[in-house]
Amino acid sequence: MLLLAELLSWLAVPALPDALSQLGLAMLLSAFVVLLCVGLAGALKMIGCTVADYFSSSQRTRRRLLFAQARQDQVKRLFYFRTVQLKYFNALKRTRLLKANNRKHIHLLSNAINQQLMSLKPSLAAETFKELQQQNARCRRQQNVEALLQLQKQITTMADKS
Amino acid sequence: MTILKNWVLAVVNLFHSVKSENLQWQQDNQGSQTQLKHAQVMAEKTLEAALKKKSVQLEHDIALLKTRHDAELSMFKTKCKQDVKDYKQYLDSLDQLKRSIQTSYTHLPEAVAFTIHHHAKHLLNQMWEAEDFAAKMHYEMQLIKFMTTVHEDARLHLEGAVNENLPERTLGLIQHQ
Repeated sequence: MLLLAELLSWLAVPALPDALSQLGLAMLLSAFVVLLCVGLAGALKMIGCTVADYFSSSQRTRRRLLFAQARQDQVKRLFYFRTVQLKYFNALKRTRLLKANNRKHIHLLSNAINQQLMSLKPSLAAETFKELQQQNARCRRQQNVEALLQLQKQITTMADKS
Repeated sequence: MTILKNWVLAVVNLFHSVKSENLQWQQDNQGSQTQLKHAQVMAEKTLEAALKKKSVQLEHDIALLKTRHDAELSMFKTKCKQDVKDYKQYLDSLDQLKRSIQTSYTHLPEAVAFTIHHHAKHLLNQMWEAEDFAAKMHYEMQLIKFMTTVHEDARLHLEGAVNENLPERTLGLIQHQ
């Protein structure tokens, strides 16, 4: 239409090119408006269909099934972790019992070493006595069984010599 | 002008003929279309019913699983409590074993009594921490043998059957093991 207007303008036909230009512009704008409306209507229709499908009965049932499957997995996982937790606390209780028992007997051994040291006190130099006593206290504090037994052996050897 | 009019009429005629052909095709295939739509609806409904059934079954399974897990956890908790109780009893009996050997051998050094007790505890822990049944039984037998030897040494010394100052058989067993 615009080309026709150009042609008429070239042919020097008065008034007609202007009218044709106006008509062409109006048609172009109308076409754009129609295109926009069709696009908008298509998009709205698509959104409507998607929403309807999302809330449809079959989709809801499908989602419910997936939710149930996820819950089943969660229940299984929960059971596993609770078992692990129980095992951990059981081991912890047992370790505490063992540690308390070890502490008690190490204390008894340390006391016996101390008594042996006290009986040897007159025959020992003050520094040696103090050092041995400190060693005994340190080993008891560190719960070092091997060192305590070694110390006891050392003191017995000293007692045998004197 | 006439050419344009004819051309417009031809376009309108074409449009009408296409529409009438489309209408005819729809009339001819109406039955099939209805059947297809019906089959589609039926398939959807069947699928939905199957999914619903599966969902209900799954809910039931979950309820059963929860009940089973609760029962198993409760049993496991009781087993754990019993396990700790048993371990405590074992420790008490090992303390008793130490007291027994100290009562029999009045001049037994504390270090020797400690070593005997410590070794018994070591055997007990090995038995407790063993993974497979065979290993557990092996360590249990070792512990029982050790405890029996200690008690036997204590009894013989009390009865005056031996004149040793130390429980030699027990110490020999410690060195051997």
